[in-house]
Amino acid sequence: MDITVHGTDPFGNEAYRVLFENIMNDLGEALAIEKAELVLRPEAPLFIFSVRLRAEPVSKTIADVSSLREEGSGVHITITDERYAPDILGAMWSMYGRNSVDQQTRFDMSVADADLEVVSKTVIASGEEALKEIIGSVWRSMPEGIKVRHVFISGTVVTVVATEEIMRPEFMKEGARVHVEMGGSADV
Amino acid sequence: MFEVIMYDGGVYRSAELFELIEDVGGAVLQKIRSSQMLTVTMSIPTEDKEAVVALCREIGGEVKEVPLAGTEIAVVGPTLGRHHMPPPICDRAEALRRKGALSIVMGLARGRGKGTSQISGSEVAIINEYDAAIFCFGNFKSCIEAKAELMKDIKIPLILVCGPRPEGLEDYCEGIVPGVGRKSERMRSPDERNKLDEIVSMTEMVLKDKRKRMSEDPLFVHPSEVKQVLENYHPIDMCLRPSPIVLHLDGLRAKIPYDENIQAIKDIMIYDRKLGDIAKITESKLDRSSMLIKIKTGSEVEYDDARKAAGKT
Repeated sequence: MDITVHGTDPFGNEAYRVLFENIMNDLGEALAIEKAELVLRPEAPLFIFSVRLRAEPVSKTIADVSSLREEGSGVHITITDERYAPDILGAMWSMYGRNSVDQQTRFDMSVADADLEVVSKTVIASGEEALKEIIGSVWRSMPEGIKVRHVFISGTVVTVVATEEIMRPEFMKEGARVHVEMGGSADV
Repeated sequence: MFEVIMYDGGVYRSAELFELIEDVGGAVLQKIRSSQMLTVTMSIPTEDKEAVVALCREIGGEVKEVPLAGTEIAVVGPTLGRHHMPPPICDRAEALRRKGALSIVMGLARGRGKGTSQISGSEVAIINEYDAAIFCFGNFKSCIEAKAELMKDIKIPLILVCGPRPEGLEDYCEGIVPGVGRKSERMRSPDERNKLDEIVSMTEMVLKDKRKRMSEDPLFVHPSEVKQVLENYHPIDMCLRPSPIVLHLDGLRAKIPYDENIQAIKDIMIYDRKLGDIAKITESKLDRSSMLIKIKTGSEVEYDDARKAAGKT
């Protein structure tokens, strides 16, 4: 993750670079972010945190994160991406009932009387949710008192403009400029 | 002259240690037992320190210097949000605890933000109950300077811990430790540990000054002597809260309900005087189930005696 910081307080610039990196690592978002630009102007106060993601968040189906095969009248699921394991199990329980799901290991489960086609197309994580998580982690890295926020999203670029009391037009303009600089579209 | 040290070891033969403390005329300030481990903070005469230390080592324990023993310190953050704790506020509270202080962590209800941060009268009153307060601010100089208002009504010694060194805040606090702002990880690196040591040394220095000022007109009775007497008071003896009596530099906090116990506490006799006559006893602002006992100075007690003798109340 490449982080660029522009700010008026030298101590704050370095501290927030480290803080942003640590928080993104803690929340597991660091791998999804390719580049981040932070604008810190505490005297205004104006904070612009813009991130460019490696890929646009899209919805994930069970087939995307596991391998599936027919087994008798049911389906056997081998999970390949661990972080979706609870979501897959939850989806199978709600669709077929707990009695029909036999979880042999953390990554393997058999679902009795299930249809392979239906299981493979089941959405277990929406792109919107992934985006929400990224925006949430950006908010978390911002100072606590900076509660008035506006988010620009276009393609892989997410920009959060935040201030403490009144969101002035010049703040929005500055946020849009950073958003475009990071590769976002101008018509947000 | 008394010295405060801490025994850190097992419970094995600890009865011998308590006996020796009693024999030399010392006092146990705090005793924490966790399973088979025991931590005892004690105040003992300097001339008997060698014998006590020798016994601590003989029974397999370690002796630590605890310069902040007998104090209760508030570590105050802008809020209790995840932006400010556990790290770094809890790291600071832990560092103080390791040096013998009883530290508490406190977050203001509306302490966040540069232009919108506030402190209420009740928060100020609660903070003023402690021996000292450590205010923890963030990483931006302009924000720290704008938040000086939060500190202006605090009457107890105050230390400001923040990122960059602010300007013009010298009158608001007794000491400033710059270099540590908001953090998302525990303070584990050598530089960060040194910073924690710096905070502890600054606190020690500030409290030393307070002790020195107090020694000009000493307390009528030392808080640890009052503690020894109060320990035999049934509700305190039966109190299940951790540290039912907490020592302060100028008194103590007893964690028993004020309304139910005030009269009995006032009537407790110490050196042939009622505790109510030699101390100001008030309800704690923190909660209704504890009380603050501020011991009067020798001159205050003399003045009260003179007024009584003259027939004035």
